[in-house]
Amino acid sequence: MQSKWDIGEPEKPTINSETEQLKSELLTLNMGPQHPATHGVLRVEIWTDSEIVAHAIPHLGYLHRCMEKHAENLDYRGIIPFVDRLDYLASMSMEWGYVMAVEKMLGTEVPRRAELLRILTAELQRIASHLMAFGTYALDLGAFTPFLYAFEEREKILRLFEEVSGARLLYNYIWIGGVWNDWTDDQIARVSSFVDVMEQEAKKYHELVSLNKIFVERTSNVGVLTVEDCFTYGATGPVLRGSGYKWDLRKNKPYSLYSELEFDVPVGDGERGVVGDCWNRYIVRMREVVESIKIIRQVIDKLEPGPVMGKVPKIIKLPKGEVYVRSEAPRGEIGFHLVSEGNDSKTPYRLKVKSPCFTHTSMLPHMAPGQMVADFVASIGSIDIVLGEVDR
Amino acid sequence: MLNVDFNKLASLINANVQGANATVNNAEDAKFDSSITVEASKIFAVCEFLKTNKEMPFNSLQCISGVDWVEFMEVCYMVAHFDTTAPREFILKVKVTDRVAPTVDSVVKVWAAANYQEREVYDMFGIKFNNHPDMRRILCPDDWQGWPLRKDYVAQKDYNGMAVYPDNKMNFEDREFIVRQDMIKKAQLAASSN
Amino acid sequence: MQDGVVLSTVDDFLNWGRKNSLWPMTFGLACCAIEMMATGMAKYDLERFGCGAFMATPRRADLMIVAGTVTLKMATRVKVLYEQMAEPKYVISMGSCANKGGPYWQHGYHVLKGVDEVVPVDVYVPGCPPRPEALIEGVMTLQKKIANERLLRNKWVKHA
Repeated sequence: MQSKWDIGEPEKPTINSETEQLKSELLTLNMGPQHPATHGVLRVEIWTDSEIVAHAIPHLGYLHRCMEKHAENLDYRGIIPFVDRLDYLASMSMEWGYVMAVEKMLGTEVPRRAELLRILTAELQRIASHLMAFGTYALDLGAFTPFLYAFEEREKILRLFEEVSGARLLYNYIWIGGVWNDWTDDQIARVSSFVDVMEQEAKKYHELVSLNKIFVERTSNVGVLTVEDCFTYGATGPVLRGSGYKWDLRKNKPYSLYSELEFDVPVGDGERGVVGDCWNRYIVRMREVVESIKIIRQVIDKLEPGPVMGKVPKIIKLPKGEVYVRSEAPRGEIGFHLVSEGNDSKTPYRLKVKSPCFTHTSMLPHMAPGQMVADFVASIGSIDIVLGEVDR
Repeated sequence: MLNVDFNKLASLINANVQGANATVNNAEDAKFDSSITVEASKIFAVCEFLKTNKEMPFNSLQCISGVDWVEFMEVCYMVAHFDTTAPREFILKVKVTDRVAPTVDSVVKVWAAANYQEREVYDMFGIKFNNHPDMRRILCPDDWQGWPLRKDYVAQKDYNGMAVYPDNKMNFEDREFIVRQDMIKKAQLAASSN
Repeated sequence: MQDGVVLSTVDDFLNWGRKNSLWPMTFGLACCAIEMMATGMAKYDLERFGCGAFMATPRRADLMIVAGTVTLKMATRVKVLYEQMAEPKYVISMGSCANKGGPYWQHGYHVLKGVDEVVPVDVYVPGCPPRPEALIEGVMTLQKKIANERLLRNKWVKHA
């Protein structure tokens, strides 16, 4: 596709001697598995013609941890810590997706308070994950201050999660049938005051980064993806919404108690640049933070005392069958294909994880040709890749 | 599974694609997902029909997953339609019986999402996809031996000089200790009750 | 005259210089990388120990914190990067995946059971992921280890 930096073919120099011929060929650059952008161990082989990228070939598998093989040998409860480590920046969403698949096959009733607490933790996790995406994206483009601000707010959320679940990053909190630990009123009051502070901070980040002329120039009109591209490649989440299509599983196929809550779904509208470029994907994430704050306030109002764990058999054995359940994680739609063979087996027969970042990585060879190398770095950052999910 | 009338879809496929033999696998319980199985040789024609037909179009492929039932292997395509007014989604399956050199036609020309997903199925199960632009391993290294997610897989002993399961680091003795203690307790209980 | 003179041994002086300015290389592989970044941020400041400058290139770094799971595909690259670092160099193995394979030890066919199969490790920090305070304790343990080095019995001198 035509980028505004396209300067056409370089003009061939005039050569006087017939024996002298200048050859030009594409240069191969290796954006290796260890690089300062914090996206993890992604290796991209870039073929460039001077500064402009001709092809980009991602090589994956540097973090392949054989999670699907482990899932065939562990019982249903024991898989939850492994599912945590898939997208380690959004562990609660991963756990919720997997637990929903098992609960669908078991048919358990989850108590209302547990559902509301799950929504509360998932939305707080969404804010934390988008803050991380915001911080590292600005760091990729050369700005260090937003990274410090983002981590400051993230530490407050992680402190709340640590008091409830015992860990800062990989929680093992959402269990089959409910949640593990209850929140006290004091902790809920602290969530409420955090959310007020976060609203002010979100406005501050908007002024600092989103409307900054340098940031806008570097990210608008870069890495444009049309809606048709997104459908063919199977993109979901902020990538699809950044291209202008209003699809959110929480509204279009509501699960848990999302149908009772009122919130809006932000979509890339071309306020700066063109719809489907990196700036619109980024602004969708920032606006989702504001929507998550709205959801958290409504959930806090609806909370009532009650049990937090439903009735689940001591040893879980599922009958023969399969199920495919999708849920909305901060990076897209995470899907779990759970196959059980019956026969009194305590472990799943096959657990396949459909990871959103894996499908988005397949769009990089499509976005790359015609961009400059610095624009390519901006495109990778706007897709928000987490390698734990891509390689499983 | 969402908003799909399986019998109607199966009859549509059978009417439009010759030899597809679409059969509905009804789930035993309403909580589980039903699916449709088609012939492996007709998968490209079926997918093209699913994308381009006007009655029940499907514009996106979400995921391709493989399952190894020991007598045969299955490839499951999760096909979805994104439309805020009429969303739908279902599972389409294909059976592969050859275990030595299995092949299936690739659907990359229909949905580009199949590119990486099919490479992953090849990496994990060994099923080759014809007419795929880039058929090589994606997650394991290129010179890896074996198909990891098959039920009869045994990991190679070492890779490039590094031991995959070094003996001094696998604490199997701990696990055997627990199992032995269990067996001793059970035997004592059985002896005391006799 | 008394305030302007400092007496010390050459060993102590060199070790003081080395341990208080360890520059780490960003080698975050997986979840532990996030905790390593959090350790370098404003709340648990790693810069007050001298480890402020996170270098992306191995040529300028002296400390490699291996944070995250090392897979067989990545292990050759870890070795290459270790060899590109200039001596004196130290390695901290952070997290249980880098120590002995972590939660993936049992069926992980593609996971290297511990980074000490490919590089020599000085300090192991346990945890999954270790808290920032644990990583700081790991760095302080390394500093104590460096303080006990002797110039002429040093492994760097022997290999030179």
